[in-house]
Amino acid sequence: MTIVSGKAEARRRLQSARSDVLRKMWEHRADYAYVLPAIAVMLIVIAYPIYYTIELSFFNTPPGLQLRDKIFVGFNNYTAILTSGVFWQVTFNTLIWTVASTFFSFVLGFAAALALHRDFVGRGVLRAILIIPWVISAVAASYIWKWIYHSDFGIIGAILVELGWAERPPNFIDSVSTVLPSLIVVNIWREFPFAMIMMTAGLQTVPEQLLRAAKVDGANAWQRFWHVTFPHLRNVSTVTILLLAVANFNSFIIPWIMTGGGPSNASHIWITHIYELAFGRQRWGVASAYSVLLFIILMTLGYFYVRALSGNERKDGSA
Amino acid sequence: MRRITVGGAVLRGAVSTALTISLMSGSALAAPPVDLSKWSPEYVRSIAGTQDFDTAGDCAKVTPLDYKGRLTFWYQGVFEGDPDLLRQYYKDFFATFRKTYPNIQLEEQALTYNDLLDKFRTALLGNAAPMAVRLQILGGTEFASKGYLQPLKPEDVGYSTEDFWPGAMKAVTWDGVTYGIPTNNETMAFIWNADIFKRAGLDPNKPPATWDDVVKYSKQIHDKLGIAGYGLVARKNAGNTPYRFMPQLWAYGGGVFDEAAPSPTYKEVLLNSPQSKAALQASYDMYVRDKSVPVSALTNQQADNQPLFLAGQLGMMISHPSDYNVMLDLQKKATGTDKDKAQTVIDNMRYGLIPTGPDGKRAVVFGGSNIHILKPEYVEGGKVDEPAAKAIICMWTSPEWSLKMAYAGSNPGNLNGFKTKWMKERLDSIKFLDVTTSMLPYGIPFPALPQSPEIMNIIVPDMLQNALTGAMTVDQAADDAAKKVKDLMGGGL
Repeated sequence: MTIVSGKAEARRRLQSARSDVLRKMWEHRADYAYVLPAIAVMLIVIAYPIYYTIELSFFNTPPGLQLRDKIFVGFNNYTAILTSGVFWQVTFNTLIWTVASTFFSFVLGFAAALALHRDFVGRGVLRAILIIPWVISAVAASYIWKWIYHSDFGIIGAILVELGWAERPPNFIDSVSTVLPSLIVVNIWREFPFAMIMMTAGLQTVPEQLLRAAKVDGANAWQRFWHVTFPHLRNVSTVTILLLAVANFNSFIIPWIMTGGGPSNASHIWITHIYELAFGRQRWGVASAYSVLLFIILMTLGYFYVRALSGNERKDGSA
Repeated sequence: MRRITVGGAVLRGAVSTALTISLMSGSALAAPPVDLSKWSPEYVRSIAGTQDFDTAGDCAKVTPLDYKGRLTFWYQGVFEGDPDLLRQYYKDFFATFRKTYPNIQLEEQALTYNDLLDKFRTALLGNAAPMAVRLQILGGTEFASKGYLQPLKPEDVGYSTEDFWPGAMKAVTWDGVTYGIPTNNETMAFIWNADIFKRAGLDPNKPPATWDDVVKYSKQIHDKLGIAGYGLVARKNAGNTPYRFMPQLWAYGGGVFDEAAPSPTYKEVLLNSPQSKAALQASYDMYVRDKSVPVSALTNQQADNQPLFLAGQLGMMISHPSDYNVMLDLQKKATGTDKDKAQTVIDNMRYGLIPTGPDGKRAVVFGGSNIHILKPEYVEGGKVDEPAAKAIICMWTSPEWSLKMAYAGSNPGNLNGFKTKWMKERLDSIKFLDVTTSMLPYGIPFPALPQSPEIMNIIVPDMLQNALTGAMTVDQAADDAAKKVKDLMGGGL
């Protein structure tokens, strides 16, 4: 008797919850109508390509066949990727590229933001100058840096030779050992202004009274930074680092234009390798499998990004 | 014993005579407009300016001049490494076409050599290709084999197959069917700076005879003058690399397959043969052992070598005759003392035949471009305006325009172009043109296979980079490349 009444109670609660959801949806019908066009566009330009990429990752697409004549190979593309030497080389490059670019862009951007947070003459001009690398076209910047680094007639090489510090211009982008660090420097140069802007915005939220109070209590500059400023910047730092990491994982322009992934695959990162597989070699299937793996990694980073943002909102709400 | 009657003999005679006449009058046995067996600079001069052609009149027979239609057209256009003269001819061509066919709405789009294949492939996947396309010689087979192209032969636009180089026709033929018409065919030449040669203690008027000499000369120039000897190019995904390395590979007796043979079968991979390895070793010796070539060769294209040559910082390179005009254009843009220095280099610019291999074998890439018509199902809108497409193809491949559009850097696809007055004018105005026309008989087309773009643009440059960076030994790099080609031909992932 008790069991029967318990089940009935559960059914009643479920029905009540359902009708509650439906009622709320009905009440917000206008809101749904407003977001419907955006959802429709997203389904077309995001959901369908994702579905098609996943489907294509299970097919072989030899150069002599049209894409519609693709051959089903199951998980062979994934197996081929994970067992190929190039995959591990490209993955290692991608990790170095992403971690180094993100870390140094953030540190440099944070340092610049702290320096520019103090009031001094010419601060505005300096801030505007530092933003230049971020606002100029990545394509133009890549070509300029290619000439700066040029292994025979680059400006850095010319200065070093002129000063007698080197006999020959250093080999920046034509050597397997120096090409990736050289490209990372360009990427940091381009990205640190973004971190600087984000951290500058974060610094404006640090309460001035707290810093003054800490000073009155005898805290030195480092202690004020570590115990007052930094805790306030934790969330904006997390978001900045995640955004930089996602952007770096997805980088294409700088390595592709400056080296095309060479020499000898030394500067190939995932995105450039995927591009070459798809458009240079027409291995649409393998390129799609790579893209699916990349998608999973980026979604994981995206999850943490959303969590960090939600954390911010909760804190703001409770404040 | 079988008896032959008079009536039967007459009948057989009549039939065989009729057959012979029909074959001779048909394109199958039509004689080429020029005698390829006599090909020499003197012969080319002797035929130049001997015939007039009425382009509009000829094309009117294919598509009436008052035809009303619409055409979308992509082509490999001029780029930063081309001379201004060629830019002007491209403008003139499209202006003339619009004037000749005022009722055809032409929507043309120029793309660079390195971008065209990627963009065209992507457009095909979305059924958004143009109605007609002019592709580099390397690309035609890939798209024909996939069934994207319509059969198209010179006879379809009023010319004869014999009006075009046999090697060029091979490049537009797949499975016995012709899918395009050559617009221009090119063979490059060897260029050197006589002043640099003299200062390095070399005979200023004598180019290296063999590729081994190139290695020696390059080292001597570098050791004596501290500048780069030979303009090696080894960038990946750039057409410049195979155009410069393949002549070396073939001269040493190597190849990707047997493409250098008179009747290639493309069955056996020869990239790791001793001859191919010897060619790769020569590049290794120049880049790694002697350090006598630009260090930037791995990221450079030929367009990067041109300013080096003009600045007197490079002794030798392989390029088109148009490089002479490019140098003149660049010199005009120079200022102050740079202008005089550039003039000195131009005055000392010399052209010669590309060196031979150790066995006297001379080779050059038989390059160029072809023009094709797409099948309607792959074209934006699902329709192809064939008369409009044939009108532009007829004009571009005419003796007049196939010559003019190749004025400074190449040779006309239509052999009748050599007979025009513009050819005569060109021989008088373009310095060193006779050298590159002399290289034509040594031209070897890239393998007519759908896999060729990947082999030439990725696998071969990868092999070079692997050896030159020390990522692999010469032997390992050649073996690795050969394996990649075998895997590719075997349909591997």
